[in-house]
Amino acid sequence: MTDQRIERLGELIVGYSLGLRPGETVRIDVPVVATPLGLAIAQAALRVGARPILAAKLPELEELLLREGSDEQLGWTSPIAACELAEVDAAVTIWAETNTRSRSRLDPRREQLRSVALGHQAATLRARVGRGEARWCGVLYPTHAHAQEAELSYREYADLLLAACHVDGPDPAAHWRGVAVALAARAEALAPVRELRILADGTDLTLSVAGRSWIAADGRQNLPDGEVFTSPLETSARGEVAFSFPVAFGGHELDGVRLRFEGGRVVHAEARVGQQHLQAMLATDAGASLLGEVAFGLNPELDRPLRHIGLDEKIAGTMHLALGRGFPQAGGSNLSAVHTDLVLDTRAGAEVLADGEPIFRDGRFLHDVSGGGTA
Amino acid sequence: MRSDRLEALARILVRYSTAVRPGDVCVIDAPAYCSEFVLAVSREILRAGGHPVTRIELDGAVELFAREASEETLDWIDPGSEVVTEQSDVRIVLDAEWNSRALATADPARLARRSRARSHLTKRFLERGASGDLRWVVVGYPTLSAAQDAGLSLHDYEELLAATCLLDDPDPVARWEAFAVELQHAATYLDTVDELHFLAEGTDLRLRVGGRSWVPCSGRENFPDGEVFTGPVESSVEGTIAFSFPAVYRAREVTGARLRFVGGEVVEATATSGQEFLRAMIAQDEGARRVGEIAFGLNESLTEFSRSTLLDEKIGGTMHLALGASYPETGGLNESALHWDMVCDLRCGGEVWADGRVVYRDGRFLPGVLK
Repeated sequence: MTDQRIERLGELIVGYSLGLRPGETVRIDVPVVATPLGLAIAQAALRVGARPILAAKLPELEELLLREGSDEQLGWTSPIAACELAEVDAAVTIWAETNTRSRSRLDPRREQLRSVALGHQAATLRARVGRGEARWCGVLYPTHAHAQEAELSYREYADLLLAACHVDGPDPAAHWRGVAVALAARAEALAPVRELRILADGTDLTLSVAGRSWIAADGRQNLPDGEVFTSPLETSARGEVAFSFPVAFGGHELDGVRLRFEGGRVVHAEARVGQQHLQAMLATDAGASLLGEVAFGLNPELDRPLRHIGLDEKIAGTMHLALGRGFPQAGGSNLSAVHTDLVLDTRAGAEVLADGEPIFRDGRFLHDVSGGGTA
Repeated sequence: MRSDRLEALARILVRYSTAVRPGDVCVIDAPAYCSEFVLAVSREILRAGGHPVTRIELDGAVELFAREASEETLDWIDPGSEVVTEQSDVRIVLDAEWNSRALATADPARLARRSRARSHLTKRFLERGASGDLRWVVVGYPTLSAAQDAGLSLHDYEELLAATCLLDDPDPVARWEAFAVELQHAATYLDTVDELHFLAEGTDLRLRVGGRSWVPCSGRENFPDGEVFTGPVESSVEGTIAFSFPAVYRAREVTGARLRFVGGEVVEATATSGQEFLRAMIAQDEGARRVGEIAFGLNESLTEFSRSTLLDEKIGGTMHLALGASYPETGGLNESALHWDMVCDLRCGGEVWADGRVVYRDGRFLPGVLK
């Protein structure tokens, strides 16, 4: 039986995030465990006269391929997906894992082969989104595995996640329209900044964002959402950064990550947990050791790390940086098969200087630009 | 399904039924709860050098579409379906549902509209199959839904399928190859026949098959299998047929169906239940009132009706007739969005005459007929 919040989330994605119109096609990438949300999105799409494609995934199949496939098989991707991604007007990715550690023992070389192939496939859609030919939204769905990772019960986790999506009340879209206004004001205030210097425990990092656009992440491309981000100048990062929260990525845990940058590139990387996987990730391609993103998390419903990057990067008062692929819409030009977000807890003992002036201290911007908005 | 049987089934489907070769694009259609099957078959495909691609049906997706889609959306073909139809080398389609009656209350006109919109895909699928560009197999599988329809426990239904598919045999492929030889004898004989005349209770039906080819079915396109079929000369079907088993199509069951043919076309269709649905299906397009297939079920390990067309049409001692699309490899020319197999039991008093001579009685070819 359907949870009304899931139905509202489907309607929010179709109506607000994607703005689907009659006759448009939408591809919904749905792990089987997230069937209720996949169907809720499809139902909302059908009700506005749009055409849903339910692309259901069995995660075990990808694991099987990674374990047993030949190099040729690992490098192959489906022509069906390719055709759909080239033609649809919109696409939704539902993130819902059934075991966050299922890839812990995979051969990293085989994983790289696969991630490069899948990266090429995803690039088709990303390029179309970049050109304004298609819209995309990624949404996180509660599962036991995610709850276990966050050390919560399933119900606690689902309540927290759905609250962060603001689908508890009757009109989630109204909430997100308000968030959009507040975040747009923050992005506008950051627009003139040329250089950012981030100071925190173990961190003194300087980057240039001159000429780059800050983008409000207001529930159109991610749910939950709530951040402003840009891509820094690729060669500008210098200094050191110590990340605060553990992240689970590709079945591995990374914690205590410290990076040193020179001329934009990582010149030294260490991790208290997951050192080997950090090095493998950095070696993926030339773009993997450059920054693709710098961002401020601004979702007040999220107040503690839940060991899922899609949530942790939005915790109000934090910042994050991503290694790898940049955002062309922000002016970023870094290319990579990876985009690895790492979060910096800037809620206590931290300061950000913009062109030498403090703009942010201990999790808060010093100047309110939102006019009382919720973000 | 027991894991040893599942592995045997996967091996048969990949190595024997579809003979997957390196580089083949192999599309697997299955409901999400049959993930064990999908994974077992995918592993065999990977070992054979192919590329498994899955089309997983989610719980509730089919009825959601039937309920909520606008008329324009019912006519819409998703781009992936076109690619699957044109580019797949192998298709493995699991004959399994979440609930075989999920569409029981859906509007038949909407379902027919949907199948009309997709009929060109069905046609291309059959053409590519006939020309050898595509190898496909529809697979029976022990699911709760199928067991319930058969009136059996899941355990007993699995035993039935395992026995019929020869999954416990040390070398099932050799057994299927031997069965293929037997079926070939029946096809070779029937290729020499021009007129067939079926007689059973309520049935007196004549049709011509001269010039058409009989196809032996030995586990390549259906699994389990065991029939020979052809497409009769479209205009030749005359007389009446009464179906002893319920005719099941798209979750609907029509009992006591009787069809009367004149000049190859249904001129009267009656049923003790489901008559309206029967008539709506027959009226959906021109080809739906003509016969696309005529066949003998020859699998002696299947004896009881199970409400699964895949199994029932192979029951040894039955014949079946399909309204709608014919298979191009038989020489049949009928085109339709419909292909509805209806089974007639010939085991008690049924007779078949070939070119004026009785050749089959009480569910078996007479001694000497099939060499």
